[in-house]
Amino acid sequence: MNFSSNDTDDMLSETVRRFATEELRPKLREFEARRSVARDVQERFESLGLAAIDLPEALGGVGLGLSSRVLVNRILAEADAGAALALDRFGPAAYVIETFGGSDLLERYRDLLASRPETRLALLIDVDAGTVLEGPVRGEAAWIASGNADVLVCLRRDGAWVMESGFELEQARGAALHATGASRIRYGGAPAHVWRDSTLAAQAWAKVRLYHAALIWGVLVDAAGFSRRYALERVAFGKPIAHHQALAFLIVDMEIAVERVGLLIADAARLIDAGMDGTGAAASAFVDAVEASRFVGPNAVQILGGHGFMRDYPVEKAMRDSRALGLLAGGTDAAQDDAGAALAPANPMEFAA
Amino acid sequence: MSGFSAALRAHIERAREWGRNEVRPAGLEADRNAAPLPADHPYFAKFVDFRRRHPSPAEDDTISEGSAVRMAVLNEENAYWDRGMGVAAPGPGLPAAIVAALGTPEQRERFLGPFRGAKEPRWGSFALTEPGGGSDTAAFRTRAIRTDRGYVLRGSKCFIGNAARADWVLIQANLDPEKGRAGQRAFFVEHGNPGMTGIKIEKKMGLRAYESVSFILEDCEVPHENLLGGEQPARTSQSSAYGATMGSLNTTRVGVAASAVGLARSAYDETLDIAKQSGSIKSARVRDRLEAMRRRLRAAWLMTLRAAWKADEKIPNIVDASMAKVFAAETAHELATVGMEIVGLEAGAGDCLVEKLFRDAKALNIVEGTGQIQRIIIARNLVGLPR
Ligand SMILES: Cc1cc2nc3c(=O)[nH]c(=O)nc-3n(C[C@H](O)[C@H](O)[C@H](O)COP(=O)(O)OP(=O)(O)OC[C@H]3O[C@@H](n4cnc5c(N)ncnc54)[C@H](O)[C@@H]3O)c2cc1C
Repeated sequence: MNFSSNDTDDMLSETVRRFATEELRPKLREFEARRSVARDVQERFESLGLAAIDLPEALGGVGLGLSSRVLVNRILAEADAGAALALDRFGPAAYVIETFGGSDLLERYRDLLASRPETRLALLIDVDAGTVLEGPVRGEAAWIASGNADVLVCLRRDGAWVMESGFELEQARGAALHATGASRIRYGGAPAHVWRDSTLAAQAWAKVRLYHAALIWGVLVDAAGFSRRYALERVAFGKPIAHHQALAFLIVDMEIAVERVGLLIADAARLIDAGMDGTGAAASAFVDAVEASRFVGPNAVQILGGHGFMRDYPVEKAMRDSRALGLLAGGTDAAQDDAGAALAPANPMEFAA
Repeated sequence: MSGFSAALRAHIERAREWGRNEVRPAGLEADRNAAPLPADHPYFAKFVDFRRRHPSPAEDDTISEGSAVRMAVLNEENAYWDRGMGVAAPGPGLPAAIVAALGTPEQRERFLGPFRGAKEPRWGSFALTEPGGGSDTAAFRTRAIRTDRGYVLRGSKCFIGNAARADWVLIQANLDPEKGRAGQRAFFVEHGNPGMTGIKIEKKMGLRAYESVSFILEDCEVPHENLLGGEQPARTSQSSAYGATMGSLNTTRVGVAASAVGLARSAYDETLDIAKQSGSIKSARVRDRLEAMRRRLRAAWLMTLRAAWKADEKIPNIVDASMAKVFAAETAHELATVGMEIVGLEAGAGDCLVEKLFRDAKALNIVEGTGQIQRIIIARNLVGLPR
């Protein structure tokens, strides 16, 4: 049992933190307006090796585990969760590719991404998919968190498929996470790969959930921190609003909610990195992140009062971004189902080394 | 529990067996009788014997974990079986750490010595709270006046654990009210002192296994040697006696958090068992609520262990400890509350463990700093909330 971070993660955090504060945070609204991240920022991100932290070393990645990934996602999302999604062109689809297709297929798509700097993989979670997986697959989704996609990866409860052509994207306005763009998607092509294996699907989904939960975590860390600092500067009735007990306690409770989310995410990631079954823990962590976002997001706006409502401050964005992130990764109801299903065998007091 | 050393796990296993066979039944007996187990109850003699045969984990140097993690892990396990019995356990209890830290060598020998290898049950006790206020320590009224023969204590204390059966009660009283809180010192009042009067064993909603005692200090005389830390004003411990006392509560806070986690786990396990037996676990609504309980339990345990781990690593943990205390206490309450709903009418019949835990748990958000006081401590550190 150990709560200390290791040197690799400390170094990684420092690199990501510097990148996020220098390159992302100041350009928050600029990315939003242009619905993408500037090319030079993308290049710097990739040259720092941050795009490939959890890609195996044999494929030119850094080979770090999910524990490092959630850390990176949190820090990026503290600056801008939309940009974090935009910057990761492989994205959480990589977990599906790796889980089902192994390193050969991972390598193939890595090469594709390397050869075409605008290329992206989009991930769709089809929670309610029927059982048919033969021939062309038809369907649509009202929102994917990406302005473009060259490969469509779909994860279902019973397996996954990859489609390289036969789908089209239509720009959508998007409710949040604007830096990554937003699209409606319609598909009807024959998949290049089809897999049927619900165990593998659950494993991939666990990683996808933690990937997104960590983004929510980051947004909440920022929302809680930003509103706390504001509450120390803003004066009402003769003292900083943070020193009115109602707000002081609210701030404390927001902090507790963020802490608890972080502990559960790191815990689930550790479990998976240790090669244990982390599907229930990951689903739980995702549900917890979404629950916390309902509390922390809107209250961060509340603490800023009318100012919080205005786009001059980042808290309204945090409220929207965290809300929208909770709709991804299959959503919270599916996560709740999986967390509940994992209930019986799991011992809440066990630890992965 | 994996993740802990084999030596610590062995202690947990032993505590588990002891808890299942001895602690749980004794706790249920006290709860049904609505009265603390009498000091001569066979459980206590058995406990002393158990301790003599098995050294406490605090003294086992084959354990690699630090003292705070040990305490957290064992408190958690013990409270799983019965929190009230944990407080009722013979020993110097809460004030042991304070006496060890602030006592003169003679006091440590005189007041803690008899507990080492004791062959019969004996208790220590610590009295801070007064009827006029518990959270607001500056409002304490109990006075200590120096005389030629010693000190005279005047005032009253309430809800003091094990105070009627204890060999001595360490009593907080103000020797120098001009100095406000800083004038507060602690005095040993030994069993049978005629100045400790009006002794009343409170009747409680929960945690009935141990006695909570209210009493009056009516010209209660103690010798000079009973002033904790001694009389010499030069002693550094003396100038900061109040701060040191409060500081030691900081350490025990993580222990209370761990106890709350144990109680919460108990509520969870029992509820889960019942839901499985009745088949109600097949209902998605019930399962979702159980999952939320489990998740919260897990987070509370991680928060508590991290606070303990930081203490062992000498990393400042005031915020962590308070956070763990309030979150774990509220978790215990929440889990027992929701647990009763899942159990259903059976929980209303009066013989359901979850219902007992529901009554027990509430105290954990009151003792050793209420939930509000913990939030104040956190807010002081987080946003500089003024005193
Ligand atoms: C089972 C049990 C065992 C106990 N054992 C012991 C013992 O062994 N020794 C001992 O000394 N004491 C003991 N106590 C007493 C306990 O420590 C006190 O009850 C506790 O500190 C609260 O004090 P109080 O009851 O006077 O409540 P008060 O201090 O009067 O508080 C009443 C309410 O006001 C809130 N409040 C107070 N100040 C503030 C503030 N500034 N801001 C916001 N809210 C505030 C509190 O949180 C609480 O909700 C025990 C209590 C119980 C229930």
